[in-house]
Amino acid sequence: MVRSVVFLLVAVSIAGHFIGCDGGKDRVIPVADFFSEPEQSDFRISPNGKYIAYLGSYEGQKNIYIIHVDEGRRHQRITSETELGVQSCFWANDDELIFTKDKRNDSLQVFAVNRSTLGVRHLMLPSTVKLRWISPSKVINHGFLISLNERDSSVFDVYRLRTDACQKELVARNPGNIIKWYADLDGELRLAIASDSLKETMLYRHSEKEPFRAVVSNNFRNSIMPLGFSGENRSYIFALSNINRDKLALVEFDMETGKEVRTIYSHPDVDIDHGGYSIDRGEMSYASYFTWKQQRHFLNKHTEQVYHKIRQKLKGYELNILDRDTARTRFIVRSYTDKDPGAIYYYDMATDELTKLADNNPALNNRLLAEMKPVTYPSRDGRQIHGYLTMPPKPKGKKPPVIVYPHSGPSDRNRWGFDPEVQFFANRGFAVFQVNYRGSTGYGKEFWAAGAKEWGGKIQEDITDGVRWLIKKGRIDSARIGIYGAGFGGYSALHGACFHSDLYACAASYSGFINLFTILKEVPPHLKPYLQMYYETVGNPETEPELIKSMSPVFHSDQITIPVFIAQGGRDSWSTVNETNQFVQKLKKRKIPITYILREEERRYFRNEENRILLYTELGKFFDKHLK
Amino acid sequence: MTHRRNTYRVNYLLVSAFIVVVIASFVLAAFLARDLTVTYVENEFASRKVEVLEYNIGPFNDFFHNRIPEISFYQGYLDSTGVSVYADSIFHAYPFVERVVFYDVSLSNERVDYGFSANDLVVYPKGVYQFSAGANGADLLPLVPKSGHLPLSLSDDFNNMAAKFAAFIERVDTTRALQDDDIFKVFYAVTPGKICYMNIPRRDDLKAYKELMYGRNSHEVVYEQDILTYFIDPQKLSLINIIPELYQRVQIQPLVYESIDTDPDLLTTETPLPGALADYKIYFSSSRTFLQSEINRRFLPVMAGVIAIYLLLAVIAYLIYRNLYVNERMFKLQYDFINNLTHEFKTPVSVIKIAGNNIRSAKQLSDPERVHYGRILDEEADKLNNLMNTLLSFTQIENKSIKIKREEVDLHEFCDKVLKASQFKYGDLTLRCKVDVKRTLYIDPVLLGSIFQNLIDNAYKYSKPANKVLDITLTQNKKQIVMRFADKGIGIAKKELMHIFKKFYRVQNQYNQQGSVGLGLAFCKELVNFMGGAISVESELGKGTIFTIVFPLD
Repeated sequence: MVRSVVFLLVAVSIAGHFIGCDGGKDRVIPVADFFSEPEQSDFRISPNGKYIAYLGSYEGQKNIYIIHVDEGRRHQRITSETELGVQSCFWANDDELIFTKDKRNDSLQVFAVNRSTLGVRHLMLPSTVKLRWISPSKVINHGFLISLNERDSSVFDVYRLRTDACQKELVARNPGNIIKWYADLDGELRLAIASDSLKETMLYRHSEKEPFRAVVSNNFRNSIMPLGFSGENRSYIFALSNINRDKLALVEFDMETGKEVRTIYSHPDVDIDHGGYSIDRGEMSYASYFTWKQQRHFLNKHTEQVYHKIRQKLKGYELNILDRDTARTRFIVRSYTDKDPGAIYYYDMATDELTKLADNNPALNNRLLAEMKPVTYPSRDGRQIHGYLTMPPKPKGKKPPVIVYPHSGPSDRNRWGFDPEVQFFANRGFAVFQVNYRGSTGYGKEFWAAGAKEWGGKIQEDITDGVRWLIKKGRIDSARIGIYGAGFGGYSALHGACFHSDLYACAASYSGFINLFTILKEVPPHLKPYLQMYYETVGNPETEPELIKSMSPVFHSDQITIPVFIAQGGRDSWSTVNETNQFVQKLKKRKIPITYILREEERRYFRNEENRILLYTELGKFFDKHLK
Repeated sequence: MTHRRNTYRVNYLLVSAFIVVVIASFVLAAFLARDLTVTYVENEFASRKVEVLEYNIGPFNDFFHNRIPEISFYQGYLDSTGVSVYADSIFHAYPFVERVVFYDVSLSNERVDYGFSANDLVVYPKGVYQFSAGANGADLLPLVPKSGHLPLSLSDDFNNMAAKFAAFIERVDTTRALQDDDIFKVFYAVTPGKICYMNIPRRDDLKAYKELMYGRNSHEVVYEQDILTYFIDPQKLSLINIIPELYQRVQIQPLVYESIDTDPDLLTTETPLPGALADYKIYFSSSRTFLQSEINRRFLPVMAGVIAIYLLLAVIAYLIYRNLYVNERMFKLQYDFINNLTHEFKTPVSVIKIAGNNIRSAKQLSDPERVHYGRILDEEADKLNNLMNTLLSFTQIENKSIKIKREEVDLHEFCDKVLKASQFKYGDLTLRCKVDVKRTLYIDPVLLGSIFQNLIDNAYKYSKPANKVLDITLTQNKKQIVMRFADKGIGIAKKELMHIFKKFYRVQNQYNQQGSVGLGLAFCKELVNFMGGAISVESELGKGTIFTIVFPLD
């Protein structure tokens, strides 16, 4: 009798265990699944469309692989780097790929590899410089353009790297103020942007033989951002401009006269985004803009058709064409939704065939992820503020706890799409609330400028207004609200901890600014115009130190009464470790529960995967503990 | 000696040795406790000064660790108005800060004809301001005369900090984070009475300063740093004696202070103050009599504890002794019992043996002789039988293996029978029986008879031949029947009364030298209890004894 009862109990407990496992499958997904990097990346199609190159892993390092599209999709590894992996690569022509390797001792090297002979050539000998690519990244007349800070570490000169002679020749010398260079369709360097930060000037020349001349200048509050030269008219460029308007519009601009020729497309509510320019033909295929999600206004029938055809095959997914052949028949496409990290596909227009190349995050396939919904609420002074609310698929309790997640910047915005951090929180039962507070980009220059000198003021009010609006809607638990952010978002979290301890139950800052004096010190004093810009966006520490003091969390640690989480990289130049240490010690002395992760070797954002996973594991624990 | 091994032993030497050891150890414990308490208190006097120190320099530490580094948060952007606000809050919170001197320092690669220069780097004060505790912010006075030369007293602090800082910039490795010991060595200058502090620049600033120093920066630039000097008066540190029971007086005295008090009973100790307060110490003193009261206060509970432990020991010793005593009594009783029993058996057996011998050796037995011997043999055999019956029934009743055969007994009738039987047995006993009972008693008549017989036997046995009298009175009240047996015998001594119902106990006297094993009363008590009644006794020596038996009616 006793034996049978014991047997029954054991059987029940084992069964319960199995059921528990089944139910847990979708409950808590391991941290690493959200934040690990994909195995295969950087898919690029060759100009003739016959080969697809990508970076894959070989002996623990990234190496270049090729898919032979017309030969049964055969995969072939063409490099064998085992010490330092390949960092980036692109097709020089149909036969050669140019690539750089991971840096060792900040030493940069550029190589070329032939896809058939597998021979690797040194294009540039190792030197301790930084490289910035200049589009078009393709070889024209046995040469391509790069910019290097070889002569002076703070300025980038332009060189043409010759693939036949393996030599570089100086194309343009930077007088010190040029921040960006543009080449035309033939690879000639003909456009540059000079900045003293308060004022941006566009420089132009008709051919490489002539000197640059200033064409048009504008204040830092306005912007004109070149996309590239037009294929039709030698002096015309496509650009995004908000001169004489509030929202960035796609315009055609004549560099000869310095006049806007026409407005190609504009949207009444939001800025037009980058994207849609094809460098090989010098034309705009569409104008892209972000309302609550990405939208396209097609300017080219063929492109519209391509998108339409692929969309037929990937219903419900958002699409981005990453690369194409010159004939526009073969494409590399990325898909995504808010609940799906998506995949990379190869699409052949001739056969109307779509092939999956790789999942962006296979670990999250078939997992129950959360839907990201756009929300709009009025601020206390009547502005419409846009944001996103992600409700957890399996909430903790009747009303879920919420993590307020202000974006970094503040000159940035949240976008609808797959966000691993948001999904990470949602998976752990938290709702996530994101706000495009004033000062965010994408909603026009007036909205952006409204954030100036309001870092600790109206920007924070917008965030708290959002939280109060959310409480009023009654869908979340008002007693369990946490705030988390990185950079400016981290600053907002600490600000919330100092001044809204009543609203938030806990606050987490990832490399958040804790002292605005320190940030203002970032600019060397001889760069007066830069300082001026900083002073206008943040505040002037010389004339209004009280304002800066009142906004800096480091001075207000005594007002914090809620648990705090701080992650800090030792080499972050925007907050010094000393200050963060002192801040943490003060909180510790007052017996405020605090989690402090300091990684000496990291900069503002943790690069090392191990450190990142540790960060998110601790972050998850922190919110689990304090938003129970 | 061998026979003693098997008998009961009492060793008075052992007992007295035990008592002596206990008392000696108690005295020793008391003495040691006292001694330890004295040492303990004296040690505490010497060691707990740290607590007083920790407590009293709390505000100073707070000031040093929190309020001074706060300067760094301003990243060199402080100006005289800012410092004024800051200084006021310092003076308000920390009365030991007397004044604050603020050097608004610039670092530059310009040519400046005053200030401290190292290679291309010039460190010079743009302005020097002093804030005092008494004065308001309005009283601040810029101390830099137009000539740009500082008074010596101020330039000393400034030059010291500037030189340290320049040396640091020269050697600093800007790729690594600042180390804590560097921070203290470079950005603090702590001397008695004074703390200098310079705001700690960011790592990138240090890089920029380094470039300035070696002329790598072609632009003319000016960076800002802040140096603050705090003047500290340790005398104004508020001093609270948090251990008044140990320290009679606590004072802040200069480091070189020595008491001139020659009183040998005055105990003193001291502890130096740390850091900027280091030219002063905290001086503690107490008189011996003061400490004595503290010692007594602490000794009392210790002594109480020792006494409690020894009391417990005494109680345990007594319990062990009592246990041994009871065992000894039991041992003696059984020993006696066997003696008596042997004796009891011996008398009839020897009488039978003599009678048997006589019968065997007589050639001819006359009729009277035969009757005589027959009667002797019969009587002695009866005696043996009785003896064995008593023993047997007692064992049975002790083991509860006897069965009660209850029936309704008319006590009148029962008493008449007992009376007749006894008069036949003891001719010289005056037995009077008075029964005043209306009801019958539901009881085993055989066992009840046995009880009566025993009590009558006892009354007969322990009465002088001239005065053998027994009055039996049976009365009834509401719920019980009371039977009273009063004789006029020799009585029982008070101290023996409590033992008479015990097995094998016999009162030592001339009346029971033969034919008694000490079971009679024990047997009666067992029987009475067995049937749900109770028996008690009262007696007076020489006058008589009264046994009272009570049976409940239901």
